[in-house]
Amino acid sequence: MAPANLTAFVDEDPPVSLWRDAWHRLFRNKLAVAGLVIVIFLALVAMFGPWLTPYDFLTQNLEVRNQAPSLAHLFGTDDLGRDVLSRVIYGTRTAFVVAIVVTTVAVAIGVALGAIAGYYGGLLDRTIMWFTDMTMSVPNLLLVVVINASLKTPVTAWMEAQYQATLNPFYRQTVWVDFLLVFGSMALISWPPYARLVRAQVLSIRGRPYVTAARALGLTNRLIIMRYIVPNAVGPLIVSVSAGLGTAMVLESAFSFLGVGVNPPTPSWGNMISDGLRVWQHYPHLLAAPAAVLGLATVAFSFLGDGLNDALNPRGSK
Amino acid sequence: MLRYIATRLLLWIPSVLLVMLAVYAMAFYGAGDPIKLIFLRAPGDVAYNPERIEAIREAAGLNRPFLLQFGSYVLNLVQGQFGNSLTSGRSVWAMVSAAAPVSFKLGLCAIVLTAVVAIPLGMIAAMNQNTKIDYWILGSALFLWAIPAYVAGPLLMVLLILVLPGGVPYGWGGVFDVRILLPLLVLSFQPIALIVRQTRAAVIEILSEDFVRTARAKGVPEMVVAFRHILRPVLTPVVTQLGLIMITIVNGAIFVELVFGLPGLGRLTVSALTNSDYPVILAITLIGSFLVMLSNLLVDVLYPLLDPRANDTMKSR
Repeated sequence: MAPANLTAFVDEDPPVSLWRDAWHRLFRNKLAVAGLVIVIFLALVAMFGPWLTPYDFLTQNLEVRNQAPSLAHLFGTDDLGRDVLSRVIYGTRTAFVVAIVVTTVAVAIGVALGAIAGYYGGLLDRTIMWFTDMTMSVPNLLLVVVINASLKTPVTAWMEAQYQATLNPFYRQTVWVDFLLVFGSMALISWPPYARLVRAQVLSIRGRPYVTAARALGLTNRLIIMRYIVPNAVGPLIVSVSAGLGTAMVLESAFSFLGVGVNPPTPSWGNMISDGLRVWQHYPHLLAAPAAVLGLATVAFSFLGDGLNDALNPRGSK
Repeated sequence: MLRYIATRLLLWIPSVLLVMLAVYAMAFYGAGDPIKLIFLRAPGDVAYNPERIEAIREAAGLNRPFLLQFGSYVLNLVQGQFGNSLTSGRSVWAMVSAAAPVSFKLGLCAIVLTAVVAIPLGMIAAMNQNTKIDYWILGSALFLWAIPAYVAGPLLMVLLILVLPGGVPYGWGGVFDVRILLPLLVLSFQPIALIVRQTRAAVIEILSEDFVRTARAKGVPEMVVAFRHILRPVLTPVVTQLGLIMITIVNGAIFVELVFGLPGLGRLTVSALTNSDYPVILAITLIGSFLVMLSNLLVDVLYPLLDPRANDTMKSR
């Protein structure tokens, strides 16, 4: 235990200035602010989707099939007469749910493995990093395809067994199988960058003079980790999470586009683009609407991530 | 030096085997019984006969332990035997070798285009740091990086159809055909964005080095500084991105080939995926991973040649 007066001394140092600094730098970057505004807007749309949609996203109205955008249907209607705007809004919900769940799981796995590797070093470190490098060396789209294909049978069987055991109709919903498959396979391929990042952070911070100084002052390991290692490692992790959310959205729509992600009728930008691709010569709005929103979201995340990087790692960019 | 390469190679082989093992295990346990899968696909008149299936399983060696089966799969692979497709019954090797040249040519062209376009753009951006030129190049790179190939492809086609009266080029006619331009461009977007940013960062770092300042102080023209003093050290960090570029291209090819109707590995992947054709998926995944791992090995071997300073640290390892 550190002497009480030392702890008090450390407490007097206001650690907020770093964050306030970063905040100021972020707001000076116009592109980053634009990205932040778009991300917040899309997040609000995803959150309040059911109250925003002008129509039900599943209701088919064959009298208004394939209509171009108009005042009644701002983004037009699709080949079944469903309102495209409502489907895009529900696609936003899909994208955010997948991105948040997948990134959370991937960060949890990555931080745990990276911290263990960086902290203990030695054989454990080498094994974990070998594993990480190998996961990264398989093209992630192909890897997720294999994981997805191989998870499908057991997950479906498990859901069916749960249904037989409980007779709860919840387990018969194919939507949940889709989501479980997407969550699982995407999380299993998304963790390596976080593991690498956290390991590198732990390694570099562990040897910094201020950590040595803190140790020399007699601070406990716990205090050193909480006060010096974590705050300094969090910055790069935030940057990488913000970029990771965008990547996860692209990945989800890519799988749905290929037909291995979220399947119709659940709307996803990816499966809407895939549907739109078949008829874009005649009804370009069916392709343009989801593609534009997906493009907007990924560009926003990319700008925000870049701005956060400049704001939180001021030394890297002058 | 030779010892270094030999060590890398020796460490590389078990990595490749482990990736193969992991991918094979996933397909093995996840896909279920291949004979059953073939029977389920067969036309209606084939009766589902458990005894006959058991006999076929025994004959095909599917009742052997997992590791033995994996071993024979690897041995067959080395001899170019990838098994047969579940849907068409054709040899996977024949399907892959028919499709691979298209993808390889396209990918190679994309790598060349990336190098030719991205490295100069990155240098221009860095040497005009914080000017309008820099912002435009960097902004466009960020933009291109964020747009997935299956969004960029169709949108470009829509734009082109408004400009070109004769319709949009579609299909495959070899490397020297006009129709390669659009898919090539879309496939190169993300690698170009990646390399522009990488080059820019590397050049900015080198610009602050003493030898650049000395060269400038001596009155060496800016062009000569760029080519003689900056380009060479910049190439080292850029070349190390080869593995990542490979991943982007393998991923991108799946969509680009689908959107533009090219008969390559990417389209084969998608059709295998929709049919759950496991032998084909397995083969393509292994080829893709092999390419990426090969690029990583190449970078490892090239690195000390490009940057002699790295040689000492390598030797001490």
